[in-house]
Amino acid sequence: MSWRIGLSTILIGLLPALAGAEEISFRNDVMAVLSKAGCNAGACHGNKSGKAGFKLSLRGQDPDVDYLTLTRDTFARRTNPLEPDQSLILLKPTTAIAHEGGMRFARESQEYQILRSWIAAGTPPDSAATPRLASIAVSPAEQILVDPQKSTQIRVTATFSDGVQKDVSTLAVYEQATDLAKISHSGLVSRDRMGETTVVVRFLGMQQPVRLAFLPARPTFVWSNSRPANFIDEQIFAKLKSYRINPSKPCSDSEFVRRAYLDLLGILPTAQEAKSFVTDQSPDKRGRLVDELLNRPEFADFWALKWADLLRLEERALDKKGVTAFHRWIRQSIAENKPLDQFVREMIAARGSTYTNPAANFYRANREPVIRSEAIAQLFLGTRLQCAQCHNHPFDRWTQDDYYSWAAVFSRIDYKILENRRRDTNDKHEFIGEQVVYESREGSVKDPRTGKPSPARLLGTADTNFPDDQSRLDHLAAWLTSAENPLFAKSQANRIWFNLMGRGIVDPIDDFRATNPPSHPALLDALAKDFVDHGFDVRNLIRLIMNSQAYALSSEPNDTNLDDEINYSHILPRRLTAEQLLDAQHQVAGVPTNFNGYPEGIRASQVPGVQSERRRGPKNSAADRFLTIFGRPQRLLTCECERSGETTMNQAFALISGPEISQLLRSEENRLTSLLSSNQLPDQIITELYWTALSRPPASIELSESVKYLAESKEKRKALEDIAWALMNAKEFVLRK
Amino acid sequence: MKHSFACSSFHQASALTRRHVLKVGGLGLLGLTMNQLWAAEAKSKNQKTKMPAARAKSVIFLYQFGGPSHIDMFDMKPDAPEGIRSPHKPIQSNVPGIHVSERLPRVAKIMDKVTLIRSMHHTMKNHNSASYYALSGHEPPLDDIRLKDTLNLFPAYGSVVSRLAPSEGEMPTFVSYPYVIRDGSVTPGQHASFLGKVHDPFLFTQDPNSPNFGLPELSLPVDLPVERLEARRELQKMIDQQSRLLDYSAAAQGLDDYYQRALAMLNSTRMRDAFNISAEPEWLRDAYGRTTYGQSCLLARRLVEAGTKFVTVYFSDSIGGQSTTAGGWDTHGFNNTRMYPIVEKFHLPMTDQTLPTLLSDLDARGLLDTTLVVWMGEFGRTPKINANISRDHWPQCYTTLLAGGGVKRGFVYGESDKTGAYPTKDPVRPDDLAATMFYLLGIDPATEVPGLGNRPVAMSEGKPVMGVLA
Repeated sequence: MSWRIGLSTILIGLLPALAGAEEISFRNDVMAVLSKAGCNAGACHGNKSGKAGFKLSLRGQDPDVDYLTLTRDTFARRTNPLEPDQSLILLKPTTAIAHEGGMRFARESQEYQILRSWIAAGTPPDSAATPRLASIAVSPAEQILVDPQKSTQIRVTATFSDGVQKDVSTLAVYEQATDLAKISHSGLVSRDRMGETTVVVRFLGMQQPVRLAFLPARPTFVWSNSRPANFIDEQIFAKLKSYRINPSKPCSDSEFVRRAYLDLLGILPTAQEAKSFVTDQSPDKRGRLVDELLNRPEFADFWALKWADLLRLEERALDKKGVTAFHRWIRQSIAENKPLDQFVREMIAARGSTYTNPAANFYRANREPVIRSEAIAQLFLGTRLQCAQCHNHPFDRWTQDDYYSWAAVFSRIDYKILENRRRDTNDKHEFIGEQVVYESREGSVKDPRTGKPSPARLLGTADTNFPDDQSRLDHLAAWLTSAENPLFAKSQANRIWFNLMGRGIVDPIDDFRATNPPSHPALLDALAKDFVDHGFDVRNLIRLIMNSQAYALSSEPNDTNLDDEINYSHILPRRLTAEQLLDAQHQVAGVPTNFNGYPEGIRASQVPGVQSERRRGPKNSAADRFLTIFGRPQRLLTCECERSGETTMNQAFALISGPEISQLLRSEENRLTSLLSSNQLPDQIITELYWTALSRPPASIELSESVKYLAESKEKRKALEDIAWALMNAKEFVLRK
Repeated sequence: MKHSFACSSFHQASALTRRHVLKVGGLGLLGLTMNQLWAAEAKSKNQKTKMPAARAKSVIFLYQFGGPSHIDMFDMKPDAPEGIRSPHKPIQSNVPGIHVSERLPRVAKIMDKVTLIRSMHHTMKNHNSASYYALSGHEPPLDDIRLKDTLNLFPAYGSVVSRLAPSEGEMPTFVSYPYVIRDGSVTPGQHASFLGKVHDPFLFTQDPNSPNFGLPELSLPVDLPVERLEARRELQKMIDQQSRLLDYSAAAQGLDDYYQRALAMLNSTRMRDAFNISAEPEWLRDAYGRTTYGQSCLLARRLVEAGTKFVTVYFSDSIGGQSTTAGGWDTHGFNNTRMYPIVEKFHLPMTDQTLPTLLSDLDARGLLDTTLVVWMGEFGRTPKINANISRDHWPQCYTTLLAGGGVKRGFVYGESDKTGAYPTKDPVRPDDLAATMFYLLGIDPATEVPGLGNRPVAMSEGKPVMGVLA
């Protein structure tokens, strides 16, 4: 065994950072090793039920408990000061004895050395004088690596409460959300493929992001010299230029008009509307179109739908009357361009009858303190708190204290249920009848760790002073929507941006945190500032974005931006939403939609709420089933993620031969019938159909082939159905490009 | 035997992103089906993990909605006092020491093919909560009679299989039928939830026992013969060529992949053949039973033969229990009904006809060793017979039946006490049963995938029941 001792001695000599056993701190050194080796990861011993009878706190959030676990449990076999090398905590991770988690570090490693020294010293606890980690700094925080440069070394410096600084690059944990690069044990990042990535560096309880971009050299790159239309373009083009990426060409008028209608109204321009826009020669026509669309009633319909998803307008909780009233309130707020802060304030502070004060339906749908607090954080602060319910948030600053104190803010909302004629007496989620939302004087949220009520505290602040003479909800609403609350303006500007550009500057849009940095931080700040400066005027912000060059780029990539997905160098085509697609199909067919319980002709994006389908009673219509297949949300959660933009096999079946499309094509009252009986020539018919479906004229080959198809067919009607089918199944139709 | 698989770091595990997969799918691997792409993804996700060797190729999950009575079927307590013991007598099965109800004489003859777990237990007393637990292997957040089917609940087993170990070839990985089950509201645990719609089951509600059984997905409307569809597809391709979207857009390529697959399916032989239950000889169809359940089980065998990995057959659409012609096992004796006349007439004879036929048929074809059959409900029924001479819900102890796919034959795991009220030996939770299924399929039960909001969640928190493995 003597060689072992020799090796250890040599190793200690090689590791000047660890001068001697007596200096090993449990909290600062041992805990770092447990994280570095992955012992306390969620999939391993950090799991809520541990692994193989050994449980550590998740990612080392609770050193005191871990200290006891390592030194006291299992008859102290995990750490054996008399024979340190026989400690389970050394034998297992080196696989000297079998370990399900495999080899975590070698006997020769720094990790082994730290643990061994601490054990050999008798597993000392930290004293009150042991310095605590004060901060960590990473270098570089941001770097662009242009080929042939393929790698960069991350340096992590920890600063402790006594002012001592240490290089902890070999003990920090490195994680990235993509597979763009490999990261070595000691923080050397090496490119696997081109693109951008964020490496999250973690040491003890602290984290810092490192943003890296790996770019091809492009020696012949010439900046396209695209001219910015406003500050949005200045920011976007500046980044593109520094990344040697050229934006795509501007989109065509046909593409622009289609985009603008779909984004603002959720419908297609009619053939006439598209034609007159495209043939209009005036230079300011795009801006004018945006202004015009913002004032159309369909704008209020379509943007109300977005809020209706998030505010959970469904009939089981709100009942049909409530859904109708709440929807009308949302729609009306948008129609009159109510400032967004006011809209949110009215809802957050809402009390009273859910019939006469429809905004109170927000609380009718969200009936538990933690449901309300999570929903409001996610919707209005862009913050996901869910992780912090059971443990401190692993990627964010939120602790369990924060979680329960924020939930406590919502603990005094209560309901006077004036009437409940629920049809299903077993269903405690169903309410039919009037309710009054009110603030009670009582009510608290228990912190499950202590069993005691948590003090109410506004998220991310020290503010526990809720004035006695004022409603808590008024206080909350004022703070939440204040221009000084940076997360409110940013998260709302980012949401509007996302709805138009297809990707949030922070993405996902409800996940703001240091470790998920924005792609364009200065742009997001500027948008938020502009939004605040203009009194949270939603239309103004929409106008600003839609008047930018960035909004109006083509989706067709060039040689430099083919791989770019996050810098807005070109538009990424995305599937129409369920409602857009259904309404577009009906529009092309010229056939009204039919939803059970609503007047014929109501568009999918006008339907106020999700109906609850019952076992006995009217079945949902074919239109409803279509919307479900294409990912319309059930509105049971406050999350953008409940709506699915995925493509599936069932969607292909629905578009190819589903009941909706079959019925639309066959209908006697559809556009095909009127076109065929209109005495128009075949090429006129085809041209009209193309404008109707695709907002553009047919290309010459499309025209000639379609006319030929029509001419050669024995049954004109069927041939025209085929052409209409092809138009409604074209990628160009199903995707917004 | 000790199994071993490493904890893989979550961030390493999510190496191949969905978008990346779609991109690859569109650009280079046109010959690959989406199934294979997901498999490639799953493989790359688990490259750091030692997966257990797969013993089962497929699972047939026979879900007995309503809750069958363990004490009247597979865990008889003849020595318990009257008021507890079944009015039916136990009979000796073909495995010495294993007894089953006299009302299951044919089942008694195939006990040499099965493992019974008599120590299943949990605490969910409501059908929807307990069924979600049974169908997903995850304890629901609350015991709620109308548990809401939200996307933060866990996916059905078959969806997990679709995500982590999909079928190769053109058959869907996960097929479920012939109902969407509901008790007042749709029972959670029947779809892919946060795994995404692409992992939803291929679901149909047509009755395999109907003489004109056929799937609309596999057959075109009468006015749309294949030639006409092909002509339409040509017109569509012409427009797609003009827009050039297929050249550069991952979304367009992904969509077109599904068109290709859907059209292949409409044209295809394998899929259509698998569903062509009328190709089975009459005598075999009779043997399975000319019932929705009987023919559903026969179809399950055909699907497994064709390559489907997870088939869920729901015994009934509702908890039932008050009818001798339809419905599930929820025999409380409500509305002046009585449990015994109902199960004697309906549930037990149907089970006695279909289950042994399925197991024997699989065995005769050499499929049983690679096909795990799971027969279970959401809970058992009260040891104490109630005032209606019936039994109520009892999750504290019940029996599930496993056969094939690498589990022991002629074996009983776990024990219950003398009234069948609580496990006394080797208790098993639904989490552990889920982990066992995944393990047999070669899936590390602890595999983490991003849940709602990208929080990493393990597909099972249970431990495989190693004691049932052959």
